[in-house]
Amino acid sequence: MSALLVQLLTGLSGASSLFLVAAGLTVIFGVTRVVNFSHGSLTMLGAYIGWSVLTRLPRGPEWFILGIVLTALIAAALGALLETLLLRRIYRAPELLQLLFTFGIVLVVQDATLWLWGPNDLPLPRAPWLRSFVSIAGERVPLYDLILIAIGPLVLAALWLLFTRTRWGTLVRAATEDRDMVAALGVDQKRLFTTVFALGAGLAGMGGALALPDASANLQIDLNIITDAFVVVVVGGLGSLPGAFLASLLIGVLQSFGIVLLPQATLVLVFVIMAAVLVIRPNGLLGRAQSTARGEAHAFALVRPAAPVLRRLGLAALLLAACAPLIAGPFLLSVLTEMLIALLFAASLHFMMGPGGMASFGHAAWFGIGAYAAAFAVKGLALGMGAGLLLAPLIAGLAAALFGWFVVRLSGVYLAMLTLAFAQIVWAALFQAVEITGGDNGILGVWPPPWAADRRVFYWLTLLLCIASALLLRRILYAPFGYALRATRDSERRAEAIGLHAVHIRLAAFTLAGAAAGLAGGLSAFSKGSVFPNFISISRSVDGLLMVLLGGVQSIAGPIVGAIAYTGLFDLLLLATDQWRAVLGLAIITLVLAFPHGIAGSIHRLWLRGREA
Amino acid sequence: MLHVDTLHAHYGRAHILQGLSFHIAPGCALVLLGRNGAGKSTTLKSLIGLVRPTSGRITLAGQDIAGHEPHAIARAGLGYVPEDRRIFTELTVMENLEVGRLPPRDGRPPWTPERLFALFPNLAAMRNRPGGRMSGGEQQMLAIARTLMGNPRLILLDEPSEGLAPVIVEHMVHAIRAMRDSGVTILLAEQNLHFALAVADQAAIIEKGRITWHGPIAALQADPALREAWLAP
Ligand SMILES: Nc1ncnc2c1ncn2[C@@H]1O[C@H](COP(=O)(O)OP(=O)(O)OP(=O)(O)O)[C@@H](O)[C@H]1O
Ligand SMILES: [Mg+2]
Repeated sequence: MSALLVQLLTGLSGASSLFLVAAGLTVIFGVTRVVNFSHGSLTMLGAYIGWSVLTRLPRGPEWFILGIVLTALIAAALGALLETLLLRRIYRAPELLQLLFTFGIVLVVQDATLWLWGPNDLPLPRAPWLRSFVSIAGERVPLYDLILIAIGPLVLAALWLLFTRTRWGTLVRAATEDRDMVAALGVDQKRLFTTVFALGAGLAGMGGALALPDASANLQIDLNIITDAFVVVVVGGLGSLPGAFLASLLIGVLQSFGIVLLPQATLVLVFVIMAAVLVIRPNGLLGRAQSTARGEAHAFALVRPAAPVLRRLGLAALLLAACAPLIAGPFLLSVLTEMLIALLFAASLHFMMGPGGMASFGHAAWFGIGAYAAAFAVKGLALGMGAGLLLAPLIAGLAAALFGWFVVRLSGVYLAMLTLAFAQIVWAALFQAVEITGGDNGILGVWPPPWAADRRVFYWLTLLLCIASALLLRRILYAPFGYALRATRDSERRAEAIGLHAVHIRLAAFTLAGAAAGLAGGLSAFSKGSVFPNFISISRSVDGLLMVLLGGVQSIAGPIVGAIAYTGLFDLLLLATDQWRAVLGLAIITLVLAFPHGIAGSIHRLWLRGREA
Repeated sequence: MLHVDTLHAHYGRAHILQGLSFHIAPGCALVLLGRNGAGKSTTLKSLIGLVRPTSGRITLAGQDIAGHEPHAIARAGLGYVPEDRRIFTELTVMENLEVGRLPPRDGRPPWTPERLFALFPNLAAMRNRPGGRMSGGEQQMLAIARTLMGNPRLILLDEPSEGLAPVIVEHMVHAIRAMRDSGVTILLAEQNLHFALAVADQAAIIEKGRITWHGPIAALQADPALREAWLAP
């Protein structure tokens, strides 16, 4: 009984810092309508800055409080800077580009943090009072846990007062509803947005610093916390502070009990809860349906078949690719194999993103599931490569169907956040299930059988499977199903009115995309001879997004061109620099700033302007 | 008070305002009359800055405001009441008024909630009601009151009588007259001629983004042919 109490208290204390971060995220989203990926980076910076501040201050509790407040203020200032310098420029850009843009910031902050504070985890030396205990029902409960438990509701109350009892709060709530009208009444939106951002960033930084005594400042905080915060915000209802509070309690307690009861399945448990809430309340516990703010809908161009010239060009490229093993050496051949795999991966993402209109930030999940399925078939079940390559798309497709069932009815941002969270959960689950997956060590020795052991034969096999699958996806887009898919993307209501079942069509597309990505993963497993959890890393998902966006969402050839260009560039980048994250991040930021309407959209605009002049 | 000179505005590539010019003297009430789609709302949005004019000059009390940000224009003394009211539905009546509040202007007595409740007695009884739970007429009154909280020199009213019951329209007429008497200049976009006659002293007729007639409203009243011209489909 009392052990349960202690566990409950631990869970509640963890929930507090999670709530602070999620509250910041939800407040920023409410006003700016930007889902800010880099919010996790602000939390991480909060932890590092908190470490630097607190280790320089005396050890007393009053100094601790001062240090936390100082950290929150510094984080708020950084947030304000970030908003005025960067985010302000992308408020009117499409959602996907906003997400990508803030992810670019994540990458840059990661390298900057590494450069400033070094690669090692930085634990906070605990002052005596931080180590003291209070006795409750005969159990020793850490004092600091109790303090954290109190901070959550206190912050909620303070925020509530701020938003309901001050002029600033009233303006923020008004701007959440109709920002143009607020401007027409004489309120400077820019200043309002900057202050909101500063508040959110301050909360994130404070959350990061408050977690220090129980953990340490480390480079994984950003993505870990943003995943949890996304889940909390979605479960609680986007934009709802009390919802975020309830959800963080739920998730916090669940995690702390999970660690005791089902250590292997904690993350899966989180996901199950999230799914359950979304099935019963699609807008979260206390959320309301999201109305798209005025002028936010983006028209998509039609996807047209390629011109004959392009087709002939494609055919020539294919012939060249087929002949490649006759000329290329083993290194070039393995690069080409990777390119083909990337091509299928990008094509599958494009399939759901372009014609399907469903942006995914966790597409690597299907890739990784496929890879692990193939590896497990060979190493765990002692099956052949054929069975592995069959199981890869099958299992990935199944997983996609299961997950898709919960999320395809959700709109843009929710989908992006949940796909990301799901990929992170799969990643962590594979990491945790050491007996089956080998954890961090991965599964090694997943080689093709003797007949395909020759690099050239494997390359041809990859070429055959990838091109066939990509062509199949393309074929589907011009079949009635493809038209139906685009119809549901452009207007769900109109599609339903002509008798299409939007949810089923989207689910089918989601599943197909997952299966195709799974096949790519399976091929990758055999090509590399091993699988690792990093097959599911966020950066792989983002690689896919960049490939699709580089090539253009609107054209089918886009992802193919994008994949080839990106794989080439990225390999060069890896060879050239250690700071590939910062370089990639800066590249993303610059690209989005230069082409706020997407590359294809921007070119289209230029063309229009040229015609008018 | 307000001078508009060859104003042009586009929505994308559609040329909506095609060189619009007119002016309003301080303390006057001008009504902009025109058919559906003539460009009345677009004119008002261009003045407040929600639509960015492509060219032309706008001066308010001698101050150039063309192409400025909406909040700067509002602070310069232009109030805007949109056609669809755009009340903040989650905010109470008092909070809606608070959003509109700007510092007093020119040493004139500022508008306060109490003064506005005297002007719109219906609102006084529902200070703490959320804007989303009010009738269309109540929302219209609140929209005007909210804009007055900014102590505008000139107020833009986009079809304030639209969709209101006759009693409420009567109310609105009184309120607008009272507003004028307190020194606010008025620019009204209307289709309802009776309402226009009751509150305005000057009229301008807008057609396809241009002003085709400009003069005292009495002249319009006396000229049935002219009325036909803009009323006919
Ligand atoms: N957001 C928009 N995008 C494109 N065109 C628009 C937009 N808003 C209005 N228009 C077009 O601009 C023209 C002028 O519209 P406006 O709303 O100014 O007319 P109005 O005189 O206010 O009409 P009404 O009496 O119906 O309110 C119309 O042809 C309309 O179709
Ligand atoms: Mg109108």
